[in-house]
Amino acid sequence: MMDTSKKVIFLVDMESFYASVEIASNPNLIGKAVVVCGDPEKRHGITLAASPEAKKAGVKTAMPVWQVKNLCPDASFVKPNMQKYIDASLQITEILMQFTDQVEVFSIDEQFMDVTNSQALFGYPKQIAKLVQEKIWDGIGVRARVGIGGNKIQAKMACDRFAKRNKEGIYELTLQNYKEMTAPLVIDDLFGVGHRMKRNLERIGIYTIGDLAKRPLEELKRRWGVNGHVLWLNAQGIDYSPVTNDSTQEQKGVGNSITLPRDYKNEEEIKIVLLELTEEVCRRARLIKKMGRTVHLYVKGADFNHPTGFNRQVTLPVPSNDTMEVYQQIWKLFKRFWDRESVRSVGVSLTQLEDAEQVQLSFFSHSLQREQLGAVMDEIRERYGKTAIFRASSLMPSSMLFDRATKIGGHEA
Amino acid sequence: MHFIIDKNHLFLAIQHVSKAVSSKTTIPILTGIKLEVDKHGVTLTGSDSDITIQMFIPVTENDKEIIQIFEEGKIVLPKYIIDIVKKLPSNEIEFKINDQLIVYIKSGSSEFRLNVFDAEEYPVIPQVNQEYVLNIQSELLKTIIKQTLFAVSTVESRPILTGVLWQLENNSLKFIATDSHRLAIREVKVETDTDLTFNNIVVPGKSLNELNKILPDEQMIVQIIFTENQLLIKLGHILFLSRLLDGTYPDISRIIPNKETTKIILETKKIFEAIERASLISKDVKNNVVKLIIKDDSLLEINSISSEMGKVTEQVEIKELEGELIKISFNSKYTLDALRTIDSEEIIIEFTGALSPFIIKPADHEKMLHLILPIRT
Repeated sequence: MMDTSKKVIFLVDMESFYASVEIASNPNLIGKAVVVCGDPEKRHGITLAASPEAKKAGVKTAMPVWQVKNLCPDASFVKPNMQKYIDASLQITEILMQFTDQVEVFSIDEQFMDVTNSQALFGYPKQIAKLVQEKIWDGIGVRARVGIGGNKIQAKMACDRFAKRNKEGIYELTLQNYKEMTAPLVIDDLFGVGHRMKRNLERIGIYTIGDLAKRPLEELKRRWGVNGHVLWLNAQGIDYSPVTNDSTQEQKGVGNSITLPRDYKNEEEIKIVLLELTEEVCRRARLIKKMGRTVHLYVKGADFNHPTGFNRQVTLPVPSNDTMEVYQQIWKLFKRFWDRESVRSVGVSLTQLEDAEQVQLSFFSHSLQREQLGAVMDEIRERYGKTAIFRASSLMPSSMLFDRATKIGGHEA
Repeated sequence: MHFIIDKNHLFLAIQHVSKAVSSKTTIPILTGIKLEVDKHGVTLTGSDSDITIQMFIPVTENDKEIIQIFEEGKIVLPKYIIDIVKKLPSNEIEFKINDQLIVYIKSGSSEFRLNVFDAEEYPVIPQVNQEYVLNIQSELLKTIIKQTLFAVSTVESRPILTGVLWQLENNSLKFIATDSHRLAIREVKVETDTDLTFNNIVVPGKSLNELNKILPDEQMIVQIIFTENQLLIKLGHILFLSRLLDGTYPDISRIIPNKETTKIILETKKIFEAIERASLISKDVKNNVVKLIIKDDSLLEINSISSEMGKVTEQVEIKELEGELIKISFNSKYTLDALRTIDSEEIIIEFTGALSPFIIKPADHEKMLHLILPIRT
């Protein structure tokens, strides 16, 4: 009989995910230093992923293209294909679902799974981990590393700190060996500690995970509240959060943002992009049949040395997903808070979502016709593509519509 | 300042004027009640700068002496004076000021010494130069306020809709209120001193709510005076002053449908009770939605479904039907609010399709109309 009284949680992580997917679909790239990066001509030309060969040459994620060229002149540059990575990630979820129905997508290349009750079918944790690796390699052609633990923090730490560094790509941490194994690690190796927190912790004499684990919980709580409490638990290897299937969670908001190809200085240019973003946000809200009650706008200035910009919101009198209704509020927010500094990026979102299928009609905002107009435009775009119908303002030079239409998350689809 | 006053008269006056006093004001002195003594009597004033209520207590009433005045003057008493006056032991209360900011209050065996505000700092109450005057019975005014006030908007996104629109033409006074989802109109005949007309006077809902509390339920003539931005109401010794709302009320004439496709006559009590029972379920769902289905020319059904609680179905007899059968969904609360204001035994409902506003009105007169926008499902 398998021991099912203890939970067995996996964190499955894909090695150099984007680069591995590219190599898997192009045999010519096998064994080469592959770097996936944004368009070198534009300013988002930074490294998104690098193959192990490229990493050996010193290439790191987020490194600008020119620097990569210096370090690794033979590197093969590949433009990102976001749709391909999303598809691959979904396929991986499907593979994991063959082992258990409790799979939580943590990021595009990391997924948690609870295999406690799968042991009777597939064997011991390490045997299951091997099977998972094989299935992913056979199906997608990507090397997976598996961290095994009695909860999510143990699995995550087992993966990040050990499985990624051993040959097998599998490592198990348990409540028994967790403290012993993690104690010597530097504090920013602990999940949840960023560079700012690292500084804070070092200031009070905490340099390793072991140092943190030995401190009293009260001290951490007093200094950093809930965050301190969570870090302390992480250092102990304690985590009560279950592996949850995302699909059961209700979506809280819809938002889109964009980094502009150059700094926009006058409001006529920004206006066009704001309308396009609003249209995209409202279209997505209509697609999931929701209306939002709160409209948010963020604007970030172009000058890094003097960060400017704002993040403001306004509540609508009645919930809406009508582009022009939402846009009017966005424009009001912009006019009110913009300091006339050049703009580098903007974002629009709609939150406090409500069901749009049942609507109390209103005398003075006669939205029935506009609602039908929105639905028709959505359908045309759905059928013939995002640029099949658009507002005339998108023909202006500052428009980002045609640029965005081929992208997902700001990268080539 | 020095005087002796009858406790009951003073208490009643404080009770009235304190309705205008708000503890949330930004001007501290407005949390108090102003008291002025002259040879004619005592005047009390309460205000939150939007609403001001003033009451006068004469020296004598029906040959009975109410106040003995020894010295004139004015002070602003703190609002808790109402609790003190209520509990004082004797029917006579003596007020005296020596120092500017301390008042001595004596009643039987009790003596208070209270800190007060300086009356000089109390804001000047706007003078109303009589412009338009109309007269109406207190009871009637109270009724028509009740019949429309419920429909005003409670959100500030369109401030003008938080008020009730007053229109006067050919001695007919019309009250109109809407929160943009439902609308109530009530019309009455009034006496005016001239052939007065106006069409854009909007009285804040909050003011009418307070006014309603002090209007007596009896046959008593109330005088209403308007200026450009103020409304003054005189009833006996009480003056009620309210600011009017700025802005133009939306044109409601174009939203009232006039070509109905379905018209039914129902017994008011039966439809009210059916919807009220259905609302026991609908209050659990978004927008309190209930559905009305006209089955044939003698029967309609009201139903409501909540995924958590269950379902209710009600049947109501139709007295008369003209036009098409219809299915329509609406907010049960809006409909109940409207039906509650109708005294007539029978009502007429006129529909113009499932996505257009429908009219509810009494079957026996044309003086009242309710318009409700449906819910699209």
